[in-house]
Amino acid sequence: MVTHELLAACRRGDREAFEEVVRRTHRHVYTQALRLVGDRLEAEDVAQEAYLRVFRGLAGFRGDAQFETWLYRIVSNAAMSHLRKRRRFGELVRDSLEEPRELPSPVRVAEEAVDRDSLTEALDSLQPSLRVVVIMKDVYGLSCREIGDQIGVSEGAVKVRLHRARKRLKEILFGPEARDEM
Amino acid sequence: MRCEEVRPLLAELAEGNLREAGEAERHLGSCTDCSAELGRYRTVVLELAALREVLAEPAPGFLERVISEIPERNWRSMIHRVASDERLHYTAFSVGGAVVGATAIALLWRRAARRSLVAAEGPQATL
Repeated sequence: MVTHELLAACRRGDREAFEEVVRRTHRHVYTQALRLVGDRLEAEDVAQEAYLRVFRGLAGFRGDAQFETWLYRIVSNAAMSHLRKRRRFGELVRDSLEEPRELPSPVRVAEEAVDRDSLTEALDSLQPSLRVVVIMKDVYGLSCREIGDQIGVSEGAVKVRLHRARKRLKEILFGPEARDEM
Repeated sequence: MRCEEVRPLLAELAEGNLREAGEAERHLGSCTDCSAELGRYRTVVLELAALREVLAEPAPGFLERVISEIPERNWRSMIHRVASDERLHYTAFSVGGAVVGATAIALLWRRAARRSLVAAEGPQATL
């Protein structure tokens, strides 16, 4: 997606190189922001803020981590800041142990296949505290520790939420016969 | 291990990083129900990872708006570049050394000049 040469040019202060980075990554950044905040206009604001943070932080990016991983971390962080400002952060921290009793009809086509739209719908149906964790971990590969730091809960609490989110998704996608986990 | 012990581990095992996987995996090798359940979890985890490349289309003009908001100069980058450029370090040390040396010479010269002035004016001052 983004080459070392391009990043080196950005670190030298080459604005055109940074514009190229934005061109190559803007759809990924926007999509991640949209998944985390759930609103198109707000996702644009989050993406804008994330790029300003990337622009200011690139000088200190040493390249130990992959650029994409670093970028995903910054977008997540910008999204969490945005939700804090909009006073919607509480819904991520408050974790209701009550799950809806009713499950939507299973969308399974075959045991080994799940269509993407169904998965996206299932994700959207999760309570925010579970959705954000599973998106950060399973979609964007952040560690449980990083996620805990970003949303202000312990690493252990993140693992519990991740477990519940995967279980819930599995139940939604594969139906009631697969929901007994004893 | 029995099914009821293995089932709560499957959501994590699907990611392939369970510490006590050895014992659980032995059970999974012989239990088709638990093995099928693990397959469902793995499908969920794999499909979630694949979502990373499923991209939404931003509104028209989004890219241009983002680019227009990027500041013209990145001061942090410039400061970082100066701070990490060895040639600039040598130049700074050389210029600094030259300034210190020139100041020292000027002070010595001024002191010597003042002494010679005092020596020249000395006898007149006593009259």
